[in-house]
Amino acid sequence: MLWTHLSYLLPLIIVVSGAVLLMLLSPVERFSMERFSLFTFVILLLALGADLYYFGILFTAFPMEELFSKMLIVDSYSVYFDALILCGALVTSLIGTHYFQIKRHFKKEFFSLFLFSVFGMMLLVHANELLTAFIALEIASLSLYVMIGFQKIHDKRVEASYQYLVLGSISGAFFLLGSALIYAGLGTTILGDLGKALDGLMGKDVSLIIIGATFILVTFLFKISAFPFQNWTIDVYDGSPLPVTAFMAATFKVAIFGFVLRLMLIDLDPIRDIWDTLFVVVILATLLYGTFLAIIQESLKRMLAASSIVHTGYLLIAFVSIGYAGESASSSIIFYLIAYFLSAMGAFGLISYIAADEHVRVTYEDFRGFAHVHPYMAAMLSVFMLSLAGIPSTIGFVGKFYIFTGAIEAGYTFLAVCGIIATFISIYYYFKLIALMYFYPACEKEGAMIPTLSGITPITIGVIAVAVIWGGIGNTFIAYFPGVDFLIDTARLSYMSLFIK
Amino acid sequence: MSIGILSIIIFLPMVVALVLMVAPLSSRITRNAAFGVSLTIFALALYIYTHFELTGTIQFKEFYPWIKSYGISYSLGIDGFSLIILMLIATLIPSAYLLLWNNARSKSYWISMLFIQSGISGTLFSLDLFLFYFFWEAMLLPVFMIIGLFGSGNRVFSTLKITIYTIMGSLFMFVSILYLGVAHYYEFGVWSFALSDLVNISTIAREQKIFLFFGFMLAFAIKIPLFPFHSWLLQTYSNSPTGGVFLLSSIMAKLGVYALVRFMMPLFPDLFVEFSIYFVALGIFGLVYFGIAAICQMNIKKMFAYSSASHLGFITAGVFALNVQGMMGSAFLIVAHAIATGGLFLLVGVMERHLGIRSLAGLGGIAIKAPWFTLFFAIMLFCTVGIPGTNGFVAELLIVLGIFHYNPYLGVLSALTVLVAASYMFWVFQKAVLVKSDNDVSNMKDLTFYEILGLLPLATLIIAMGVYPDLFLYKIEPTLQHYLIDILHVGVK
Repeated sequence: MLWTHLSYLLPLIIVVSGAVLLMLLSPVERFSMERFSLFTFVILLLALGADLYYFGILFTAFPMEELFSKMLIVDSYSVYFDALILCGALVTSLIGTHYFQIKRHFKKEFFSLFLFSVFGMMLLVHANELLTAFIALEIASLSLYVMIGFQKIHDKRVEASYQYLVLGSISGAFFLLGSALIYAGLGTTILGDLGKALDGLMGKDVSLIIIGATFILVTFLFKISAFPFQNWTIDVYDGSPLPVTAFMAATFKVAIFGFVLRLMLIDLDPIRDIWDTLFVVVILATLLYGTFLAIIQESLKRMLAASSIVHTGYLLIAFVSIGYAGESASSSIIFYLIAYFLSAMGAFGLISYIAADEHVRVTYEDFRGFAHVHPYMAAMLSVFMLSLAGIPSTIGFVGKFYIFTGAIEAGYTFLAVCGIIATFISIYYYFKLIALMYFYPACEKEGAMIPTLSGITPITIGVIAVAVIWGGIGNTFIAYFPGVDFLIDTARLSYMSLFIK
Repeated sequence: MSIGILSIIIFLPMVVALVLMVAPLSSRITRNAAFGVSLTIFALALYIYTHFELTGTIQFKEFYPWIKSYGISYSLGIDGFSLIILMLIATLIPSAYLLLWNNARSKSYWISMLFIQSGISGTLFSLDLFLFYFFWEAMLLPVFMIIGLFGSGNRVFSTLKITIYTIMGSLFMFVSILYLGVAHYYEFGVWSFALSDLVNISTIAREQKIFLFFGFMLAFAIKIPLFPFHSWLLQTYSNSPTGGVFLLSSIMAKLGVYALVRFMMPLFPDLFVEFSIYFVALGIFGLVYFGIAAICQMNIKKMFAYSSASHLGFITAGVFALNVQGMMGSAFLIVAHAIATGGLFLLVGVMERHLGIRSLAGLGGIAIKAPWFTLFFAIMLFCTVGIPGTNGFVAELLIVLGIFHYNPYLGVLSALTVLVAASYMFWVFQKAVLVKSDNDVSNMKDLTFYEILGLLPLATLIIAMGVYPDLFLYKIEPTLQHYLIDILHVGVK
């Protein structure tokens, strides 16, 4: 029995012990950065292996209930999200390899912090209790604050780190206050029990709980950078080292959605429709403002940061549809997270690879004629741009298809149309890059030392590019190979496990 | 799984293009390979043409499930209407290659052409709306590349403009498709995006249906282009390379009309009939408006661009005339116009190669230097104007007849306005080709052997179809009858 329970928690245990071990080993001079990078990779791989053991099985369990009470939960849903987070971390460590080799100021502690933040994110999707969730959120965030500001010499880094720290802490305070109010209203902080207690209160005054839950949603909206809490996004994303930006933009969002979906779907289900109007306004503002920000950016990295706000808007469309379209909307969130994760990871990773040495290719203009110098990199970057823009034959298109279908199914045709308009404007800022790369003669930048295509990083990015196209074309052509259907089916399975009583 | 003939037509160019993309081959070999592919497809299309049965049904079907959880399938098939466009593509593209034989020196030019061919065929064969949308939009990427890489003038701006413009239209169509899919799910409990399933939906209220109708219409109207949605046209056509403008004008624009018939007629039969009067009027208005716009142009390419839009307005009017003459005329004009306009743009491309881009004022007296050029130019031009003996005449006659049946007043109007084309086309012919002038045209050379070889089938088709139209009409008639009688309930057997 104990072994079964341990095996449930094994991925978490592996990651956290790896993090501690790396921290203890960091003063040892004998181990180089490369070793640490490799070690991180192995730990993540082991954890993923342990996690995949339960992948695709419908189950739910409270591991070591006598020890943890019901604070932690392991079900198909958390296994699915663990797999996503671990894949995200793996990809980050792979595409970061080159970057960390070049940028010498990264110390070995970085990898320990990285694993701690992965642990925090995994814990977040396992959290079955509000305070556990808060602790998990803070573990992930605190590690990220340090990772952002790791390059002390750089003012931009310090500013980004500080800004994120201050704003993140304030939003964390909202979460705590919200939990306290919910506890005051319902007498429990355990998910599942919350829902039952809330059912019992139906017809009575639940304003305290509504206020508490709204506070928690504030934290949620802050972390996924939705309007009106999006102001930090561009500066922080721009100020962070690129692999960290990729990690934040893609993987952290997955974890946050992982927790909030659990909370909203099970516990706040009876009162969820209260926030519908609020969410519609938030979505419209997020789409509008994000699009506006993305159009005016000169720097590619800042444009990607701004466009991540727009993508948050799309995700929220699916989020608000859940109340009415249920299963298909929530699996569409999961699918879109994967789609965005792949495209953003690829784009950020490739830019970080290109810009690893010096900041020579930063703005749009710097990429003028890039395709004639580096055709393969330009092709990959174009694939990611097309996917972010949602052009058919990429995974981004299928993701948008699910989101908008879910919205229409839920009766939010209006939101789908708004999403479509945002998509169509986004063509401009994504295609601008492709046009610049291909349609102008090459201009060599002074001192531009773009690394050649060799090593782990470009291979990883190449694999992601293939995955982006594969996800868009799907498994028509090769039977029995996991494609779009596989992702959707497993997402549905994980969704179902939430409702096992 | 076995691969059907339609799949081969779609994917052969794409696969070859992908191989050529990575293979370190010279542009000459790439061109020859692309030409070989187009000839292979011509052979396959001939096979389909000869084995096509004379019924209004969909034939050569292929079906594989794709995204099962949403009932999306990879399903293909053709009817009489798609068949003629398939034949059109199969004949025109090899000709285009021959005319561009020494024109384009870059590999990516040919690769883009191959990709465009794949996209066009995919759009043409799709029976599933999701798949249709997939190809419809994916087709745009190679067009984006070919204009951006090889265009002239402000090419980057014009390629972004056409891309954003057309994607805007298609995205509204996308919402409409999704709405139909959801409606099907709510009514029948299963997901499907197949055309044959979506036509059964009966639960959508009229107001919503009008929105959906215009969602589709917007996408097609931009592609065709119909009157107020033409602002991308001029710049795109004049800045495109010859191959790009050829594909845009003679094939992709026709796909807009095709999709109108193929998808909108069965999906919204009642609205199609109800709104037909507006579109007939809009089509005739476009005919006049673009005709006048063409007269005002001093650049041959721009003039032909407007002339092309003018004819497409006429084709649209014929489709909405809701009778067999009008539709048959439209189908016929699609073919005639594709051949003639395609040929004209290719010839203008030849002229540009020798003389550079010039306005009409800088031309003249080409006829002496290039008699073959003049001959083919004249044939294409006569077809565009609709001189008896060419297929343009037959087509325009049928459409005018169709509109007469539909509404005599509009019929009179359309009969009068057909002459607009004559006014500027003859003038161009006279000014640029025939009349001698002081301009230096000594660089102009006559057509090469390859170019003559490419244009010969087109010229033959124009005359053959003009003299004996029945040879081509009988293949398409059952399909059009099926559309009118079984779907729109307006025709009589």
